Amino acid sequence: MTHDPVPERSAHTRRTVLKSTAVAAAGTVAAANLTSVAAAEPVRTVAGGGPVEITLSVNGQRRRVVVEPRVTLLDALRERLGLTGTKKGCDRGECGACTVLVDGERIKSCLTLAVMRQDTEITTVEGLARGERLHPVQAAFIRHDAFQCGGCTPGQIMSAVACIDEGHAGSEAEIREWMSGNLCRCAAYQNIVAAVADAAKEVRR
Amino acid sequence: MTGLVGRGVERVDGRAKVTGAARYAADNAVNGVLHGALVMSTVARGEITELDTSAALASPGVVAVYTHENMLPLTVPPDFPYPKRFIPLQDTRIHHNGQPVAYVVAETLEQAQEAATLVRVRYRVAPPTALLADALDEAFLPRDFRGRPNETVRGDAAAALERAEVRVEQEYTSPMQHHNPIEPHTTTAVWDGDSLTLYESAQGVVLTRMVVAQAFAKYVLEQDIRVVSPYLGGGFGAKGPTWSHTLLTAAAARLARGPVKLVLTRAQMYTMNGHRAEYRRGLRLGATRQGRLTAIVDTSTAQLTRTEESIYNTSNSTLHLYACPNVHVRQLGVRLDLPTSSYMRSPETTAHFGLETALDELSYEVGLDPVELRVRNHLPAGPPASKYLLECYRMGAKAFGWARRDPRPGVTRVGDEYVGWGMATETHTYNAIPSFAELTIDEAGRATLRVASQEIGTGTYTVLTQVVADGLGMPLDHVTTLLGDTAFPAAAISAGSSTMPSVVGPVSTAARNARDAVVAIAVADPRSPLHGVPAADVVAEHGQLFVRGDRRRRDSYRDVVRRHGQAVVVNGSGPNTPGHSFGAVFVEVRVRPRLGAVRVSRVVAAYDPGRVLNHRTAHGQVIGGVTWGIGFALMEHTVVDRNTARVVNPTLSTYLVPVCADTPSVESYFVDRPDPASKPALGARGFGETPGTGVPAAISNAIFHATGRRLRDVPFTQDKLL
Repeated sequence: MTHDPVPERSAHTRRTVLKSTAVAAAGTVAAANLTSVAAAEPVRTVAGGGPVEITLSVNGQRRRVVVEPRVTLLDALRERLGLTGTKKGCDRGECGACTVLVDGERIKSCLTLAVMRQDTEITTVEGLARGERLHPVQAAFIRHDAFQCGGCTPGQIMSAVACIDEGHAGSEAEIREWMSGNLCRCAAYQNIVAAVADAAKEVRR
Repeated sequence: MTGLVGRGVERVDGRAKVTGAARYAADNAVNGVLHGALVMSTVARGEITELDTSAALASPGVVAVYTHENMLPLTVPPDFPYPKRFIPLQDTRIHHNGQPVAYVVAETLEQAQEAATLVRVRYRVAPPTALLADALDEAFLPRDFRGRPNETVRGDAAAALERAEVRVEQEYTSPMQHHNPIEPHTTTAVWDGDSLTLYESAQGVVLTRMVVAQAFAKYVLEQDIRVVSPYLGGGFGAKGPTWSHTLLTAAAARLARGPVKLVLTRAQMYTMNGHRAEYRRGLRLGATRQGRLTAIVDTSTAQLTRTEESIYNTSNSTLHLYACPNVHVRQLGVRLDLPTSSYMRSPETTAHFGLETALDELSYEVGLDPVELRVRNHLPAGPPASKYLLECYRMGAKAFGWARRDPRPGVTRVGDEYVGWGMATETHTYNAIPSFAELTIDEAGRATLRVASQEIGTGTYTVLTQVVADGLGMPLDHVTTLLGDTAFPAAAISAGSSTMPSVVGPVSTAARNARDAVVAIAVADPRSPLHGVPAADVVAEHGQLFVRGDRRRRDSYRDVVRRHGQAVVVNGSGPNTPGHSFGAVFVEVRVRPRLGAVRVSRVVAAYDPGRVLNHRTAHGQVIGGVTWGIGFALMEHTVVDRNTARVVNPTLSTYLVPVCADTPSVESYFVDRPDPASKPALGARGFGETPGTGVPAAISNAIFHATGRRLRDVPFTQDKLL
């Protein structure tokens, strides 16, 4: 996968850093850049094997949790923190059902370890609504019938929030492309596209 | 009736689904739950000779490892809906690659998964037969399945074919495919003494309970088993039958003396829960020069196993769709060393793909428009059923602009792409299964429906809530529908497009009975403003009860039930009969000749599903079914290795399903007239599996129109067009 250049935005400096890290990991940037990124990341060592107590900041709440280092963020959310809104579909980063936001950026929570995500702000589908008031993307999904069974829906919604935030919801074709990392086996795709386009208008207003 | 039925209201479970509040089977927090992990066989045929669990048992957190040596002895349930003829971990025999050979139970998921990698298994191996092509000379006619024969004869097809003025004789093939619901199969088994609760990803809670009771006949009574499945993250047939992981998890929980939760891995879902079998179909059509069918000989060969011989993808459309006096259908099979196949969304697509492609070939042979050819062979429904298929052809063709089609293949180019238009009839059988419902009107004037049906994404919560609100004359938000629990009255499995035809009758009857019961209480109660009014003169709207013609004289559900002092509880039933739904689908494809890449750029479809109960959810079934048709035609293909009989692409990055960028927006139209033959279901037929059945053929036909190349072997991958 290739990344478009990320525009510098003051609100998202950390996102930009993370994106550079991802690109660096893929071995597509110069070593000099890699060094500067490494310097920007806090160094954290975790003892191999045994459980460790960590603090995760999820939906604005700091939650202490004891996990082995091998526990994915997805399994920490679902099996330890009781946040089962985030779904496990494939556990391999292929379906997108486990998409959450980490510092505003969409990631597949099955492909990252919980211990790696300390000092970040994690947002799951449970954290989008403000009380009874749904997030515009959630409301648009209901309005446009952008789901059927609901199994992929939390991931679709988190992905859609980020897709709009990234500026990738400019046209139907663009939405189709940038929402293609989230499978919907019920295939509500055209309604998902309509919901994302509609929510994008509202979010930008 | 307040006009709620039919309206495209938003889903009543929408908020639960978009906020993460909807509780799917693996989302239940069960105190002290242990985690299961399966160890799978790595050979396809043979016997376990040695099984070493010592390293797994020594691994941290491991509670137990169950194998054929220490697993609870279980009884193989006699028949479908337990499709397998064996239960794993009961003996040493290996029937297919990816069969469970050990079940690890540990305190955490990670501990169970790690320990599963530490179980060492040795086998005595026999060489497997993996591919249909390698065993065609062993094809045989399997025994009847679920009361249906595999050979059907009408007239004398061989003689008619011999005499036919025009013949089309071709072979059509389709590969093994997997359902791949986003939610993996999962079971959490909780024993309390001799009663068992299963939090289960099940399309049918009642049948799951029956199968579990059969397997555990020595240990538990059916009435002491509860199966809970209020939400399902997609099933598509994979969660219709009950599979061995459910039985093994219940057994492990009993032996481990603690609740156990198992979630299958994605890879395990390619050997544990059925698939659409690989098919080869020889089709021979005979017709007059005017295009009237005189003979159809449909001989298919399906992949079976050495332990099962069930044919799931039947040739129903060959038998029932068109007027043809001479038909001979034979559904053969060959035994392979593979997991059993099963039903997968719209199982009749496999046969229908061949029929509808062959008809397109016939249309070119006789020089007729493909729509006109189908109109000439139209078979009206037998009374009392309706069949508005001719209207579907007209509506779909008009919306698509079919009249502008130049029939010559390969003449339309836009830029560097060839453009082709193709069409096909869509049809599928639906089932109707006896079902029951219970409706409670409480002292707050609210209604609660309980029925052991399921929400599999098709909109069951929403449509049943509409039916209740409409029947009672109550606002939609005063009605709560509860599903997916064997504690509720028994209802149909959500498979075979059976939910609406089976459940709407009992639910609407319950609503009518409840309304009548409350009205009867009101008119008999001297404290009611309706006292003494003939019950037939009372109308219900928005939760209020009025005297017809005098709306000031009124009572309400709330006040009547409150004065009555206790909730009003009624039941409903309403048996229905199976049938067929119909439609016509028109597609446009773009083919890039240098790459062989096919893109579906436009789809228009028109349907006759009887009465439409909710246009929004009906449209949802259309876009889903059409997209499944696109996946069937262009990408889905499970690959089995010839030497090991192992699925080599058990992941979603190697088994391709359509993504958002692969799909066009689909336009749908509905005739929307009630079918008198489905009166209990308010004129609605089963519909979910009809959309998409014609799409693979329509795409094949459109590719022919675009390029002049006739493809008969799905999926139509790029290599086949180069």
